[in-house]
Amino acid sequence: MNRRDVLKSMAAGAAIGAAEAMFPGVFFVPAGGLSTAAAQTPAADGGLAWKKTPCRFCGVGCGLLVGISNGRAVAVKGDPASPVNRGLCCVKGYHSVMALYGKDRLTRALVRKDGKLVPVPMKEALDLVASKMAETIKTHGKDAVAMYGSGQWTIPDGYVASKFMKGGIGTNNLEGNARLCMASAVTGFMTSFGLDEPMGCYEDIDHADTFVLWGNNMAEMHPVLFSRLLERRLKNPDVKIIDLATRWTRTSMAADRSILFKPQTDLAIANAICHEIIRNDWVHTGFVRDHVSFHEGKTSIGYGLEDKFAFKDEPKTITLERYRELLADYSVEKVEALSGVPARELRYLASLYADPRRKVMSLWCMGFNQHTRGTWINNLVYNIHLLVGKIATPGNSPFSLTGQPSACGTVREVGTLTHRLPHGDVTDEKARKLAAEIWSVPVERIPAKPTYHTVEMFRAVDRGDIRFLWIQVTNPMVTMPKLRRYRDGLKKDDRFIVVSDVYPTPTTDVADVVLPAAMWIEREGMFGNSERRTQHFDRMLTPPGEAMSDTWQIIEVARRMGFEKLFPWSEATHIPEIWKEYSRFQHGPDHEMAPYEELKKRPGVMWPFVNGKETKWRYNGQYDPAAKGAFDFYGKPDHRAWIWFRPYEAPPEVPDAQYPFWLNTGRVLEHWHTGSMTRRVPILHQAVPAAYVELHPDDARRLGIGNGQRVRLVTRRGALVLPAQIDGRARPPEGQVFVPFFDEGLLINELTLDAYCPISGQPDYKKCAVKVERA
Amino acid sequence: MDRSRYFLIGLGVLLMAALVVVVGLSLTAGERPARVLPVQAAPTPTLPTEAGMYARVDAAAEYAAMPKEPNRKRTRAVYYARRAYPGAPPVIPHAIDEGDAGGRLCLACHGDGGWAPRFEAYAPVTPHPELISCRQCHVPQSPSPNPLPRGERVFTTLAPGGGEGRVRGSVSDWQTVTPPPLRGAAMPGSPPPIPHALQMRENCRACHAGPAAVDEFRTSHPERVTCRQCHALAAPPAEAFARPAEGGR
Repeated sequence: MNRRDVLKSMAAGAAIGAAEAMFPGVFFVPAGGLSTAAAQTPAADGGLAWKKTPCRFCGVGCGLLVGISNGRAVAVKGDPASPVNRGLCCVKGYHSVMALYGKDRLTRALVRKDGKLVPVPMKEALDLVASKMAETIKTHGKDAVAMYGSGQWTIPDGYVASKFMKGGIGTNNLEGNARLCMASAVTGFMTSFGLDEPMGCYEDIDHADTFVLWGNNMAEMHPVLFSRLLERRLKNPDVKIIDLATRWTRTSMAADRSILFKPQTDLAIANAICHEIIRNDWVHTGFVRDHVSFHEGKTSIGYGLEDKFAFKDEPKTITLERYRELLADYSVEKVEALSGVPARELRYLASLYADPRRKVMSLWCMGFNQHTRGTWINNLVYNIHLLVGKIATPGNSPFSLTGQPSACGTVREVGTLTHRLPHGDVTDEKARKLAAEIWSVPVERIPAKPTYHTVEMFRAVDRGDIRFLWIQVTNPMVTMPKLRRYRDGLKKDDRFIVVSDVYPTPTTDVADVVLPAAMWIEREGMFGNSERRTQHFDRMLTPPGEAMSDTWQIIEVARRMGFEKLFPWSEATHIPEIWKEYSRFQHGPDHEMAPYEELKKRPGVMWPFVNGKETKWRYNGQYDPAAKGAFDFYGKPDHRAWIWFRPYEAPPEVPDAQYPFWLNTGRVLEHWHTGSMTRRVPILHQAVPAAYVELHPDDARRLGIGNGQRVRLVTRRGALVLPAQIDGRARPPEGQVFVPFFDEGLLINELTLDAYCPISGQPDYKKCAVKVERA
Repeated sequence: MDRSRYFLIGLGVLLMAALVVVVGLSLTAGERPARVLPVQAAPTPTLPTEAGMYARVDAAAEYAAMPKEPNRKRTRAVYYARRAYPGAPPVIPHAIDEGDAGGRLCLACHGDGGWAPRFEAYAPVTPHPELISCRQCHVPQSPSPNPLPRGERVFTTLAPGGGEGRVRGSVSDWQTVTPPPLRGAAMPGSPPPIPHALQMRENCRACHAGPAAVDEFRTSHPERVTCRQCHALAAPPAEAFARPAEGGR
């Protein structure tokens, strides 16, 4: 080392020292390895090994390249080879790997003894889980045990959970938290098309010139796709982005037109657009004649507020003429009065959808799905696209976005819901027979009747119908609506709660056993994103301590309960073997999955994957090997897409004299859902350190509330004091307040209402009545 | 005479036929399902794009003529202090308008750079002005004029096991690699290679020239605009060149 080198390294050391002092939580270590002190030759990016994975967070499914050095993840790049994000990420993605390294990672199993969780060896904890589960089944029956997973379960996690619960134990007590986020999207797809998941894909964005965003703040919740919309508009000045919302957000600001409507009136707005299309003779008569049929269902269908609420729709086929008559109440003038959207804006929207020169993409997420008429509003947006024949072609695409990395891949496709099997519904004998055959179990073991969807499942725990609940990869003690009831239920003395997670959360706080989980790239797995893309990731890192993948935890417990034959795989090869077995369920041109080797090679593969080709546009004969003719909606027995007449119906709780405001809840860009991961990332935590309540400035003035002052929110369920945000990131209209739900210290879900869509079972977190006062 | 009559009749017939065809087509156009040619997938490039290579080229002469301001240096230490790892999107170190997503407001200063009196500093120039949802990747760390509630410096959580106290202090065990060393020339005096990936950073002048450039990163010759003529990309590490085997062309 000569004098110059010494000076150089001193200067570098000083620079890094200064960097660390200014930015706690980031520690630089020498390039090329965490233990070598000597700086190496300047290979670009420090000579790291870059490995591909889908992002851990939202349902967009961005491809990431994770830089690995000496057994640690040290950096992230967007994967330029991924067609999802083409090299761009969002701030969560760029800092995602930091979520692996929170100091309070769960590394040992914990068991509650004398009211306190104490560390025990993993083996002992797994023994206890298995014996407790077996004991509960013996005393209270199979339907007294339940499992609650999530859209962050990898596909193998969900598959073994389904096989264990439905094929092993023989209960349909299996749910996923995706019930809280996209169940209405599923029932929307099923009722309109007979098959789940979008017909189009993200590439539609590059072909469309009109984007109608229905109640989703895409700039924050699907930022990478929103950037793709903006990029599209930069290249083509004809592109229009229309933001239809109940609150002015970052998305509204970037849109060409922002249209604010009153909560729940999206139902009327969609009908008004259809009314206007028919009134002006803008219907694509050929498409409708050949590919569409008309239907109506029950009305005044309730809200599921009472325990054991049940609903069954009674579909009736109707004519276009009858449909037109039913729409008579939805003229633009009448809907203006209801929704607050001027008639000319409604006409403008209808003309955008109908203009034959325009290609229209509708996008939505939680505004539609978390809705007491969530299934209906999903149906209604399909109605618009079907009437004008703008569907299943490049750029003409109604597109349902999702919030979790594998809500589609695991919960929807593997079917970790009470009524589903990996292919088909439990009520369908053919589906049960297929499952029994692949699993080599007697068909009678798989019950034909669904049990509880999520809200009802937690009610059943509260009532005592369920005594044992195993929760994996989700944090329901932050996310359940009307939270206090369900937390009190879980805390009851003779309930046994097992929680598998990576950090302590309010859910592990109520657990009897906590199992430390291997996170994301600490194990091998697959996610499935919103555009039917299955994405594989390798095990790149060693899980800390005794942490174990969710898949392997289930296998360990199942084997202890005598189901060794169902899970014969070795730890080394279980993921490819599970994939092979699971793929048998999806065999066929309408859902064929890519082989394992293909998934390992590529940054994601879309299904149906037939003869080595992805299917970008389903139901379109030019692209979809399962479709015959120009268009073929083969999910329905009549090979047609179903237009449903669905009326406007008011929400169950509306503001009144006592509770005069709407309470709306949701997310922020920097935090992912309950913040259990992102709040351990210093950069993300510092950006949005705590929850707050957004108010309209006029409401704030009237109530004498200044920015940052404490505000008390009171609903019929509970009260919460939060700091005010006025003209901050977003602005609710007068008469509405908004609170993000990520903060476990300020649990807004203690105030929300557990009303749900009777068809999907998905609760509405966006609308209830609240009193607002200075605290 | 006759001939011109036949011609007129013929013309009339032709026009009528054309009218029938045009009207017929336009009538049925609405009935045809929308059709477009099947879309082909674009190949993935293996070399970094050249886009942005000549961006800000008009500023080159101006940059070359700028006087040095030794007291107003942006330093490498500060540069890395704003990033979680080399290559991470930097945080926003100053107060911002909470209600803005970025775009025009950010680009007013970070599009072209220049002196920002409010911050007593030259604004760093973004290498990717085409991406306008700035706060998708860049987040503030300091209180804004419309403050978000001030949090603890780090996230605190209940002690595992639901005990009384909250776990405090630094909650992250994050470590990353050191930034690439400066001046990694292969031989004394030869032009150093580019030590970082070019993804979203194709425009060299944005960071390596101009008054806001980090002092240690600033080029001595901003007037030379084809940077990659002399500076080769060191990433990704390519396999050593070997001649193809016989016949394996």
